Amino acid sequence: MSVSAGEVRVFAQYADDVVETAEVVVVGSGPGGAIVAKELAERGRDVVLLEEGPPFSLDDLEIDPALSMSRTMRESGLRATRGSVMPTMQAICLGGGSLVNSAICVRAPDFVLDEWCERYGLTKTTRADLDPHYSAVGRFLGIAPTPDEVQGRRNLLFRQGCDALGYSSEPISRNVRGCRGSGECFTGCRARAKQSMDISAVPAAVRAGCRVLTSARVERVTGSADRAEGVRGSIVEPFTGRVAGRFEVHARRVVLAAGCMATPVLLEKSGGLANRSRQVGRNLRFHPGVAIVAGFDEHVDPHFGATQGYQSLQFLRDGYKLEGLWAPAAVLAVRTRGFGHVLKERLAQLPHSAVWDAIGSCNRSIGEVRVRRRGLDPKLLWRLHPADVPILARALYTLSEIAFAAGAHSVVTGVPGVPTEFHSLDDAQVLRNRSFRPSDFQTGGNHAFCTTRMHGDRERGVVDEFGRCHDVANLYIADTGVFPQCPSVNPMWTGMALAHRTAGLIAESL
Amino acid sequence: MCAGLVALLAARRVWVGYPPPPAHVRVLGRREFGFLTAAADTVFPPGGAISASGSDAEVAERTDVWIGEVAPFLRVLMRLLFFLVEHATLFFPAPGRRGFRRFSSLDAAQREAVMSGWAESSLGPRRLVFESLRAVLTMSYLSDPAVLRELGVAPRDIEPGYCEADLLFPPIGHGPDAIRIEPEDLRDVEAPATLACDAPLDPRYAAPRA
Ligand SMILES: Cc1cc2nc3c(=O)[nH]c(=O)nc-3n(C[C@H](O)[C@H](O)[C@H](O)COP(=O)(O)OP(=O)(O)OC[C@H]3O[C@@H](n4cnc5c(N)ncnc54)[C@H](O)[C@@H]3O)c2cc1C
Ligand code: SF4
Repeated sequence: MSVSAGEVRVFAQYADDVVETAEVVVVGSGPGGAIVAKELAERGRDVVLLEEGPPFSLDDLEIDPALSMSRTMRESGLRATRGSVMPTMQAICLGGGSLVNSAICVRAPDFVLDEWCERYGLTKTTRADLDPHYSAVGRFLGIAPTPDEVQGRRNLLFRQGCDALGYSSEPISRNVRGCRGSGECFTGCRARAKQSMDISAVPAAVRAGCRVLTSARVERVTGSADRAEGVRGSIVEPFTGRVAGRFEVHARRVVLAAGCMATPVLLEKSGGLANRSRQVGRNLRFHPGVAIVAGFDEHVDPHFGATQGYQSLQFLRDGYKLEGLWAPAAVLAVRTRGFGHVLKERLAQLPHSAVWDAIGSCNRSIGEVRVRRRGLDPKLLWRLHPADVPILARALYTLSEIAFAAGAHSVVTGVPGVPTEFHSLDDAQVLRNRSFRPSDFQTGGNHAFCTTRMHGDRERGVVDEFGRCHDVANLYIADTGVFPQCPSVNPMWTGMALAHRTAGLIAESL
Repeated sequence: MCAGLVALLAARRVWVGYPPPPAHVRVLGRREFGFLTAAADTVFPPGGAISASGSDAEVAERTDVWIGEVAPFLRVLMRLLFFLVEHATLFFPAPGRRGFRRFSSLDAAQREAVMSGWAESSLGPRRLVFESLRAVLTMSYLSDPAVLRELGVAPRDIEPGYCEADLLFPPIGHGPDAIRIEPEDLRDVEAPATLACDAPLDPRYAAPRA
């Protein structure tokens, strides 16, 4: 039974194998893929959107973090890099990472775009080129600064500390409408305030006639080395991955937006497609994140307020960005040191604590996505480069500075070999004075990019700056893999702006 | 004969003497359940800053549910982790008398000493074993509604904000017939009511422990 225009098919509905034909097939419904599908469908193009994960209805959103991670994330949320061991999460659900992320939207700064253009032979990726695309996406998703009413004490203390030190800070712009300040973006927004792709771009695409096949895992791009003809793969049961059927979609244009870990694997599994440059899967970069827990006398009630509501962009050129943060207590506590009564005492401080994080623009720390013989899960190799380590140490110092300026009585960084708790800024000087090894930092890397990077020179990049593969004229990539370097700020909005531009190019080409 | 006896004794130390887990435990075997209960009570002993112990918080039961949902290869890794810590003391004994017993058969002081050994080892891989085990136990401990209530971080009740997507997607495992939302249920999400610190708890987290 073929899928009708504007239909969303879910696992329970697949009776037979599926064969569809479309003008454009888009693989992956994360921020990149969903924006491409919506834009093309709204321009009257015939689009099929394929997503391996299921859509999560409100009934399916699980607040328990362990169960939520098992259901919404690949490898149950326990994926990690080898080399420097760092957890990294990628979603498997309609909406991709946008279902579980904090909705932070920041435009890549001018100096980043300038550097991208200069170093990667790009001529049409300037501020002026991208701003219209940022704005179009921003209007659609209602991206706006977080109002004070939903900041919560944890974020406001961050502002207070920055103000006291004269550091710039600002409310974070987010793709939300009517945020209640529940601080639970990580397990999916029960208030349906976060404009994740499953409730924003995908329904818009469907309204415009896009066909959406969920539980559809693409395993191969079909066609020849020069021309893609479509994709094929398996219908897979949510959570178990049990194969229940096959599908094939024939299309004039193929867009891969499976995320920067999955797209290179798909290209490799499709016979080493689009890889004359030999850059597919290489250049993997992250924004490794570090965090502090600041202890206050007052009740902070850190689980109230926007998950991430305030930020400081003051240190972007020094390689780090600072933010307020909340995640389920279980997730945060995994990094709390000790056991027994000591651990209990530390956990009991949570209501008086504010958690703030920093992400590092670690461009020297490079890794790669490798293909496993079986399955589509990637093997991730990545090492934190010793030259990037001082960025993280400085970031932790600045966060400690802000905490003490905001009135904290203690700061915990989790870095081994320094006092478990700092009680004054003097204690924190060790972060400035000591040299650290990469293994000293417990980092997490949920911002990942560059594995199918854009480059003006076809010998040195997989796609051009419009996301078009250099080697395969009708194959496009629209996920964060196309970034040439770290964006220095949260990547989603830049990924969507680039995807918006790619959609325009595809529409014109049809 | 002698070798047979030694093998029998070794098998007894590894396999025998675990009480059966509660009937609702589906994935963990009795040995794994026994180990997790002992480990949870070592990492989260009774009393102190948070009243619930690992057993009170049903850490082993919660881990059973979780392990039933994780990817199969991770389930194997988790089981290996439990096996390793449970039986390491058969080769590297705990301090004190009768230290050559599996972890769950040691007394509380010995378990604490063994756990410290893992936690403070100068060998990175040993510390990693401890951190992985503690991560599993902590995830489960802090999933217990009573613990979250005591810490004051239990999730609040949130009025669902139905939107257009809820007319499109049935609950996972069901077809479109299962969609119960009607267009008139949709809410204007632009008009939020900020969640107050004293907002009622989500019903799943509000009930006192049975
Ligand atoms: C916990 C967390 C918090 C974050 N917070 C923020 C934030 O606040 N702001 C921000 O800017 N960024 C944030 N990020 C990062 C951001 O979510 C990602 O950069 C973004 O989602 C990337 O979008 P994408 O479209 O490139 O890929 P993804 O979002 O990964 O989407 C790829 C999609 O493709 C699907 N897919 C993969 N393989 C296949 C296949 N073979 N067949 C079919 N479908 C497939 C996947 O299931 C997925 O749905 C966060 C990430 C995480 C994990
Ligand atoms: S903070 Fe809560 S209400 Fe606001 S977007 Fe995140 S999950 Fe939704």
